[in-house]
Amino acid sequence: MGEYGLFTYLMLERRHFLGRLMYRAVVRAGAYGLLVLGSVGATFGAAHPTEVDFNRDIRPILSENCLKCHGPGEEERKAKLRLDVREVAIKPAKSGSVAIVPGAPEKSELVARITATDPDDRMPPLKTGKELSRGQIELLRRWIAQGARYAVHWAYVKPQRPALPAVRHKRWPRNPIDYFVLARLEREGLAPSPRADRPTLIRRASLDLTGLPPTIAEVDQFLRDKSPDAYEHLIDRLLSQPAFGEHWARMWLDLARYADSAGYADDQPRTIWAFRDYVIRSFNANKPFDRFTLEQIAGDLLDDADDETETATAFHRNTMTNNEGGTTHEEFRNAAVIDRVNTTMSVWMGTTLACAQCHTHKYDPFTQTEYFRFFAFFNNTEDADRTDEAPVLDLSSPAEKKQRQQLEADIAKIEARLAASTNPPQGSGAKPDEQPSAKAQSSTQGAADSKADRDQLEKLKNELGAMPLNTVPVLRELTGDKRRKTFVEFRGNYLALGDEVTPAVPAVFHPLPAGALPNRLALARWLVDENNPLTSRVIANRFWEQIFGTGIVRTCEDFGTQGDPPTHPELLDWLATELVAQHWDMKKFLKLLVTSATYCQSSAVTPKLEAKDPDNLLLARGPRVRATAEVIRDQALAVSGLLSQKMYGPPVRPPQASLGLSAAFGGSLDWKTSKGEDRYRRAIYTDWRRTNPYASMATFDAPSREVCALRRPRSNTPLQALVTLNDPVYVEAAQALGARMAKAPGSDTERLTYGFRLCLARLPRPNELNRLLAFYQATKADYAAKPQLAARMVTPPDGSSLSAPAGETSALAAWTTVGNVLLNLDEMFMKP
Amino acid sequence: MSNMEPKLEKLQHLTRRSFLESAGRFSLGAIALASLCGGAQPAAAATVLNPLAPKKPQFPPKVKRVVYLHMSGGPPHLDLFDYKPELVKWNDKPCPDEFLKGRRFAFTSGVPKLMGTPRKFAQYGKGGMWMSDAIPQLQSVADELCLIKSLNTDQFNHAPAELLLFTGSPRAGRPSMGSWVTYGLGTENENLPGFVVLISSGVQPSAGPAAWGSGFLPSVFQGVQCRSKGDPVLCVSDPPGMDRDLRRRTLDALRDLNQLQEQRLGHPETATRIAQYELAYRMQIAVPEVMDISRETPQTLAEYGAAPGEASFANNCLLARRLLQKGVRFVQLFDWGWDFHGTNEGEDIRDGLTKKCARMDRPVAALIRDLRRTGLLEDTLLVWGGEFGRTPFREGRTAASKILGRDHYPDCFTVFLSGSGVRKGIVYGETDELGFSITKDKVQVHDLQATILHLLGFDHEKLTYRFQGRDFRLTDVSGRVVTDILA
Repeated sequence: MGEYGLFTYLMLERRHFLGRLMYRAVVRAGAYGLLVLGSVGATFGAAHPTEVDFNRDIRPILSENCLKCHGPGEEERKAKLRLDVREVAIKPAKSGSVAIVPGAPEKSELVARITATDPDDRMPPLKTGKELSRGQIELLRRWIAQGARYAVHWAYVKPQRPALPAVRHKRWPRNPIDYFVLARLEREGLAPSPRADRPTLIRRASLDLTGLPPTIAEVDQFLRDKSPDAYEHLIDRLLSQPAFGEHWARMWLDLARYADSAGYADDQPRTIWAFRDYVIRSFNANKPFDRFTLEQIAGDLLDDADDETETATAFHRNTMTNNEGGTTHEEFRNAAVIDRVNTTMSVWMGTTLACAQCHTHKYDPFTQTEYFRFFAFFNNTEDADRTDEAPVLDLSSPAEKKQRQQLEADIAKIEARLAASTNPPQGSGAKPDEQPSAKAQSSTQGAADSKADRDQLEKLKNELGAMPLNTVPVLRELTGDKRRKTFVEFRGNYLALGDEVTPAVPAVFHPLPAGALPNRLALARWLVDENNPLTSRVIANRFWEQIFGTGIVRTCEDFGTQGDPPTHPELLDWLATELVAQHWDMKKFLKLLVTSATYCQSSAVTPKLEAKDPDNLLLARGPRVRATAEVIRDQALAVSGLLSQKMYGPPVRPPQASLGLSAAFGGSLDWKTSKGEDRYRRAIYTDWRRTNPYASMATFDAPSREVCALRRPRSNTPLQALVTLNDPVYVEAAQALGARMAKAPGSDTERLTYGFRLCLARLPRPNELNRLLAFYQATKADYAAKPQLAARMVTPPDGSSLSAPAGETSALAAWTTVGNVLLNLDEMFMKP
Repeated sequence: MSNMEPKLEKLQHLTRRSFLESAGRFSLGAIALASLCGGAQPAAAATVLNPLAPKKPQFPPKVKRVVYLHMSGGPPHLDLFDYKPELVKWNDKPCPDEFLKGRRFAFTSGVPKLMGTPRKFAQYGKGGMWMSDAIPQLQSVADELCLIKSLNTDQFNHAPAELLLFTGSPRAGRPSMGSWVTYGLGTENENLPGFVVLISSGVQPSAGPAAWGSGFLPSVFQGVQCRSKGDPVLCVSDPPGMDRDLRRRTLDALRDLNQLQEQRLGHPETATRIAQYELAYRMQIAVPEVMDISRETPQTLAEYGAAPGEASFANNCLLARRLLQKGVRFVQLFDWGWDFHGTNEGEDIRDGLTKKCARMDRPVAALIRDLRRTGLLEDTLLVWGGEFGRTPFREGRTAASKILGRDHYPDCFTVFLSGSGVRKGIVYGETDELGFSITKDKVQVHDLQATILHLLGFDHEKLTYRFQGRDFRLTDVSGRVVTDILA
C-alpha cells in the first residue's frame, strides 16, 4: 500500500468504511428489511493512484466541511474567507494571516486551523459535528505543498472524448464500453463474470427494453438461432416493439411528474393523457433526444410547431394546480413556475438550482439573481393556476369534433323543444310529468312526444359524456402588454420582490445560442447545445442507470459538487460524447449499452466479489436489481395471459380495494373498475391520481408524482409480499396462470415446466421441479379434502367462474396456488 | 437495491455522525437483531439487521412514541380554548382596518364583522384553564394538558398549511414528521408497521398522503394507512380460497425455491426477501389482532364511545392506544370536518361545533386517561391540533346567513400536548384581547416540530438526510425548542 493507498484507506475508514458496513446492511433491507452483514473485505482503491487532483480529492473535502461558511453563500460567509475561489483563499486577511500559501502548508492558516488542538481554533468548528480525518488533513497539506491548484468542477467542463484504455484480456470487450469497465477491473485485480446463458439474456433484455417477459415462442426462437448475431437480432426486435415505448415512457413520466390529476387537496381529475401518449410515440419513433427536448420545452415556439409539438409542451403543464377554495392563483402559478425551473435543471442537467431560490447556492456557483433570471424564461406562459387548466389544445379528430358539435346541437334543439312544450304557460312550479300543462293535457300525443324527447335527450347526453375528452393543457407564450415582468423574490416569496431581471442562464455555463431571442426556445436549444457540459452526461447516465441499476454518477439527481463523483469518469464522458455524435439517437444508445459484454455477464456473485464490491460498482457481474412496480404488475398479467395489448387513450382503472374515503373537498378516492380488457392494460395506462396512487404500485415504490421523481427507491418489504400474495389482481393472475398450466398437455411435470418457462424463460432445475411437484400434489390432496375452499380458490375476484371440468376443481385450485408461488419467486421480482 | 445506495449511504453518514459519534461508541451491535431468517440463513455467517429496528436517539429522550391527533380544517380555537371576553363586547362591530391591513384571507374581502364567541367559557383544573362548553370531557383532563395558545403558521390554505405542519414545507416532496421519527428511531415491533395512519369522518386530509409520505427518505419510512373497516392493512387477508395451512405450505415452498436461487446466485437480497415473506406471514396475524377492538372490555369501549366495525374517530383513538401499546412508534390520526366557515349547519360554531366536538371530546379525553392508567403516558407524547386557526371575525361569504362561521386564520391558533416530557396543566403563550396577534411566546410550526423531536431525543438540526446535495431536516431552516414547556 503506497502513500496514496494509505490515504485512501484512511479516508475510506472515515468516510466510507463504517458507512459501507452499515449501508450494506440497510441496502439489503427494505421496510423491516433484514440485512445481511457479511464479512467485510477490503474496499477497492481509488480510480487513479496519481497525485492530488483538486476535483477528485480536494473539492469533496472542502464542499463537505468548509464551503457552507467559506463558500459562495454571502450571508453565511465567515471572516470574509472563501475557499472556493483561489484568489480569495491566497489573499492575506486583515489579521495578516493567509489561509492558503501555495507551496507552503506550514505557513497556511488553513493547515494550522485544521490541525489545531484548541477547540476554539479548530476547524471545522466542533458545533458543526464535522471532523477531518488524518487522511483528509494530509491530503490538504499535500495539495497546498503541490501549489494548491484549483480546477473547475468536473461536471461544468464540457466532456472530451477519451481514448479507449488498454486492457490485457483483449478478447473480452465487445464494444468500447467494455474497455473502460475491463481496464478498471484489471486495475482492481478482478475478472469479469462469464457470459449469461441465453434464457437469462433474453429475459433480462426483454424486461429492460420492453418491460415484458419473453414468450416461450420468443425464447425458443432465440435458443434455436445459431447465427453469430442472434443476440443483436434479438435486441433489434425488442427495440422495434411497441412495448418498448410503453416501457421507456415510464421513466420519462416520472421525470415529467405526469399524473391524471391536478394535485393538492381536491386533486381534481386532469385530462392530459395525450402527453403520455406523446412520450410513448416519441420513444417508439426513436425521436432524437435533442428534438424531444425542443418539443417539450418550447414546442409552441418552433417554426414547425403543430399539434404534436404543442402536446409535448404539456411536459411543464404537469405541475400541480391548487383548486382549493380561497387560494391566490398568483401564489400557485408562481409555485408552478418554480417547479418548472427546478425540474428542468434537475432532469436535463442534474443540477440543484432549487437551492438558489432562497439564497445564493451554498456549494455550487449559482446566485439567487441567476435563479430568477432562469425563472424569467418560464414566467410568461398563459396558464395561471386556473381550474379549467387553460390554455388547452383540442386534439379531437375532425370527425370527433363534428360528432361532438352535432351532439351538442341536437341536445340544444331538444332542450329548446322541451322547454317550449312543457313550460306551463301559467307557470306552476310542478314537474311536467306530474302536472302536465293545459296544452299537453289536451294532447296525449304531446306528452308522448316530450317523453320521447326526454329519452332521446338522455341518450344523447350519455353519448356526449361517453366521448373521451381529448384535450391537453399546453404552454402558450404571452405576448404584448400581457407579458409579465420578473423580479428577484426574497427567500422565494412571490410577494417580497427585489430587482427586475431579464432571462439569462447562469454565468458558469456556456452562453445562449448567439443571436437568439432569450426565450424558452433559446433555452431549449441551450440545454442540448453541444457546448452544454451536463445534458449529454446526465442523459447518458439516466439511460445507464435504467439498464445497469446504478448510475455511473450514483447521485443522478446531483452532478454538482455535493454529488458523488463518477465511478468511471472516462466511460461517462465517452458515452456522453457518443450520444451527441450519434445525434441523440436513443435506441442506438440503448443498443450500445445492452450489447456490451459488461451487460451480458452472469449476475451470479461469488463470496469474494460480494465482499469486495457488494454494490457492483465495478461491474464485474451482470446487473441484478428489482424490477419497477409497473414491470412487476405487467409481468404477472403477461405470464398469466391476461395482459391487453391495447395502446394509448384515456387512463384506465384496474381493480383496487376501496378505501371508503374522499379527497379533501373532492370526490371519492374509490373508483369504478374499468370493464373488459381495460382491466388488464399495461400499468402505464393506469389512472394516476396524485392523492391516491394505485396502491399496489405505490407499495413497490411508484412515486405519487406530485413533484419530479428523479430516482425510484427499490425497497424489499413485507407489504410487497402481501400485495403479490393476496391482492385480487395477483390472485386473478395466479388463477389464470394456474388454468394455463392445467390446460397444458402432458404430465404434471410437463405442465409445471410450462408454467415455469412462462414466468422465468428458463427451464426449471430438477430440484426446483421436484419441490414444485411435491407442493402441487400435497396441495391438490388438501383441496380434495376441502372442496369448498377449492371452489373459492378458483372463483375470480369479480365473481365470474373459471371453467373447471367436473371433478377437477381441486386440481385447478392446486394449480392456482402453484401460480401464486411462481408469481412470488424472488427471481420474478428481479431482472435476472 | 443499489438504486437506493447513495441515499442510504448518506443515511449511514448520518448514522455515524449523529448516533455513533455523539454516543461515543460504535453501536452497530445495538441495532443488530438475531436472524429472522429461520431456515433461510445464508451460507456466509451473517447478522441480520433491520432499518426499522429500534435505534437510540441522540440524547436520552423524554418520550419514545407519539400519537398525533390532527383536526383537518382548522378548529375554531376562539370557541374552544382561547377565550376573548373583549371580542364578545365588540361582537358584530365592523373589524377595524388596522387588524386587516397586510393580512390575506381565503374567503373574506371588504370589512367583516367581529364575532365574539357565542359559547360559554369557564375555568377548569388546578391551573384554571379556560375552556368552552363544547369540550366537557377535555375539561376534566385539563390538568394533563399543556395548552399552547400562540401557535403561528404562514399558510392560510389547507393543503399548504398541512404540508408545512407535517413536512416542514408548504410544497410537496418532503418527508413527513412520522417518517422522520421512524427514520431516526425505528420501531419497537417489527410485526407491525412503525408508522400507522388512521383516518376518520370519511375524507383524507387536504395534504393527502404527502402528510404521511416519506418524501426523499427511503420508502421504508412512510406511514401505513390502516383501516378499522375492511382489510385493516391492504391485502393482509389471504385470498378466499386459501386457509392458514395452505398459506403456510405456499410460503414453505417459496422459501425452499428461493433458497435454491440464493445458493445459485449468492445474492443477499434473496435472503432478505425470504425473511420479508416470513414477516408478512406474522403481520397477517399481528395486524388484525391489534386492529380488533372487540377484544376491549365494554367499559373501555363505552369510555371512548367506540363501537367495533365503525370507521369513527373514537375507534381510531382506541386503536391508537392499542397500537402504541404494541410498540408502534408514530400513530397519526386525521379527522375531517373542522373547517368551520359556516357554509352549512354542521359548520356552525354553536350547534354544529357541539355535535362535532361530541365525537372528538370524549375519545380524546378517554385516550389521555387510558394512556395515564396504562402508564403509557410516561413515555408517550400526545399532540392535538389543526393546521391553522380561525378569524376573530365572521367569514365574509357567510356573513349574511344565520349560521355563524369563521375564516382561516394563520396568525394564531391553539394546540395542546400531553405526556411526561411536557409541563402539565399549563397554558403557554398569549394572544391580544381580540385574538388577532400573538402578544407573548410565539411558537411557530417549525418550533413545534423542533420540540416534538427534542422530546424524542433529537436535535432537530442534526436529524438530517442528504438529498440533492443538501442536508434536509424536518424544520427546514428554522425551528427552536420551546424549552419553557418542557417538564
